[in-house]
Amino acid sequence: MSKTWIVFRHEYLRHVKRKGFILGLLSIPIFLVVSMGISIVAALSSEDMRPVGYVDLSGLFANAQPLPPQNTGWLDRDVEMRPFENEAAARRALEAGEIQAYYVIAADYLRTGNVRLVTSHTVEADIHRQFSKFLLTHLLKDEDPTVRDRVLEGPNLTLHTLTSNQKIGSRNFFSLLVALFCGVIFVIAISTSGGYLLRAVVEEKENRTIEVILTSISTDSLMVGKVLGNLCVGLTQLLFWLLMGGLAALFALRAFPDFQGMEINASFFGLVALTFLPGFVMIAALMTTVGATATESREAQQIAGLFTLPAIVPFWFMGAIIEHPNSPLAIGFSLFPFTAPMTLPLRAMVTNLPVWQIVLSVAVLWAAAAAAIWLASRAFRLGMLLYGKRLTLAQILRSR
Amino acid sequence: MSTVKVNQITKRFGNQQVVDHVSFEVQRGEIFGLLGPNGAGKTTTIRIILDIFKPDSGEVEVLGGPMNEEKKNRIGYLPEERGLYQDISLEVCLNYLARLKGLKPTEAAHRIEQSLKRFDLYEHRKKKVKALSKGMQQKAQLIATLVHDPELIIVDEPFSALDPVNTQMVKDLLREERERGKTIIMCTHQMHQVEELCDRLVLINHGKVMLYGDLDGIRRRYAARKILVCPLGDLPADLPGVQRIERENSGYLLHLTEHTHPQAILKHLVEQGVALERFEVALPTLDEIFIQIVTARGEPL
Repeated sequence: MSKTWIVFRHEYLRHVKRKGFILGLLSIPIFLVVSMGISIVAALSSEDMRPVGYVDLSGLFANAQPLPPQNTGWLDRDVEMRPFENEAAARRALEAGEIQAYYVIAADYLRTGNVRLVTSHTVEADIHRQFSKFLLTHLLKDEDPTVRDRVLEGPNLTLHTLTSNQKIGSRNFFSLLVALFCGVIFVIAISTSGGYLLRAVVEEKENRTIEVILTSISTDSLMVGKVLGNLCVGLTQLLFWLLMGGLAALFALRAFPDFQGMEINASFFGLVALTFLPGFVMIAALMTTVGATATESREAQQIAGLFTLPAIVPFWFMGAIIEHPNSPLAIGFSLFPFTAPMTLPLRAMVTNLPVWQIVLSVAVLWAAAAAAIWLASRAFRLGMLLYGKRLTLAQILRSR
Repeated sequence: MSTVKVNQITKRFGNQQVVDHVSFEVQRGEIFGLLGPNGAGKTTTIRIILDIFKPDSGEVEVLGGPMNEEKKNRIGYLPEERGLYQDISLEVCLNYLARLKGLKPTEAAHRIEQSLKRFDLYEHRKKKVKALSKGMQQKAQLIATLVHDPELIIVDEPFSALDPVNTQMVKDLLREERERGKTIIMCTHQMHQVEELCDRLVLINHGKVMLYGDLDGIRRRYAARKILVCPLGDLPADLPGVQRIERENSGYLLHLTEHTHPQAILKHLVEQGVALERFEVALPTLDEIFIQIVTARGEPL
């Protein structure tokens, strides 16, 4: 078995077996589930599900049937529409608390559309939507089903920009959410696995084990084993969270059917992989450089924060990037290695990216990753034996 | 055959010449002392031998040729800067280090178990390294150095932090390894340990070789013109060629004049009928030679 593999395995297992890691792994999904659960329970418990009454003075809705069950989510529940002979009966039911409100459909409804709502408190907007649908469905019951559905659902709007053939559907908002989610995961992953890597390198220095290790394995093999081992720790975390995210998405699709309208194709995930991977490697290598040059882990962690900071800068300008995805700012962010992994997928969701930009951005990212590895390898070789002394950038670049 | 051959190596860090044309050879099956005061260039020399640093000039041959990855498995190194992974258990730590020296998992586990028992650490194998005492960590480090049965053992200050019992155990261990044909390079400041253990030595100061050869030869070379004599009766009042006589324990220390040979004194005493219990040339201790060289700050001797 190669020594690189032994280092890889050692690095991976020592982190993954830590209680702190397992707790950290579970804490985010648990936190999300608990907070989502609390807000759902709070929303459901505050929702008034009592029936809504109606008094039909127009005579148009005498035989109205309840709406057939729609393709609704788990959390979407229709309230019952209960007919009353007259307003006095409806009022008695309202006062008795049997219904939350009642509508009075005017005698000249067909001509004026007048409907009066009587309630003791405010009624949720969704109740109006349901009642309106109930009326429309009944009025259109004898129409051709295609015409009826079109009238009920309204137009499905897509926007086409003049400068590109990108279609922006009215429901693309959810696709943007996915791009943002991927971005957040990226930042969390680089800061956690980068942090592990940083600690692994600094620990080697603090424990003074490096001299023994370097007489057992070459610097390059050690570096590769360490970087891959710690990246896989981050990747394990990432995959676990993505899996949890996938489950959450399945839940969301059932709970909020509107999400089903989002359009994400495979090329988006291809782009994510193309930008995240070199971004990941670049930041990991820079963390190693910091670890090798710093004298203790606290100092190293402070400096390392500087590398994750630029990665989240596009978040601050998110509005501007979505609004003007082809502005110089957005293009600049796409070509700068630190901001590219966040910006490029985000822009891909709202505009059609020119191929040259994708190629250039990914090429710059890989070049930056290669340069960072080169720097890390030199810093590691020079810095690891300087116990208690700081290695400067000039020394790294100057040395033979 | 030489296990290590160092030929005219130099190393400069910034403006400082840390190693300056150092040459020596270490023979197979000997304990070789690498001596020098702090900052003399010993550790840098060792790091060059182990290929952690590249020399600016000169060559090093280890185990019959240039250093390579395969040879790392045949070398055991106990550095001056001791280090073990503090946050993992002793057993896991030693296992990892043994695996990096090319041992198979089962073999590594078996040898570590044996070594832990020998060094009285077996009961502590599940403890985190940081929970062990300094002496225990020192022993654990020795296990890591020797567990893969290396041909060349390089130990830097092997007795630091050890109590007399464990010091004796390590001495026995080093002798045992020598008996088994292993080559040992020992860096230390403790001259009495060198006198006790080493066959040959090199002394480095300011990056230069000041002294190199076998222990007895060096001591003879540095022998001051002194003789230790224990007569059964009194010494004659007049002894030609003797400058000064000092009483020392049960005998006398005779300080000879510049051109007097010890044999001439012996002959004279025998002729005078002085019954002798002991007559020996007073050799300097290595400590004395060390101090003499290091304080002289002179050129190589």
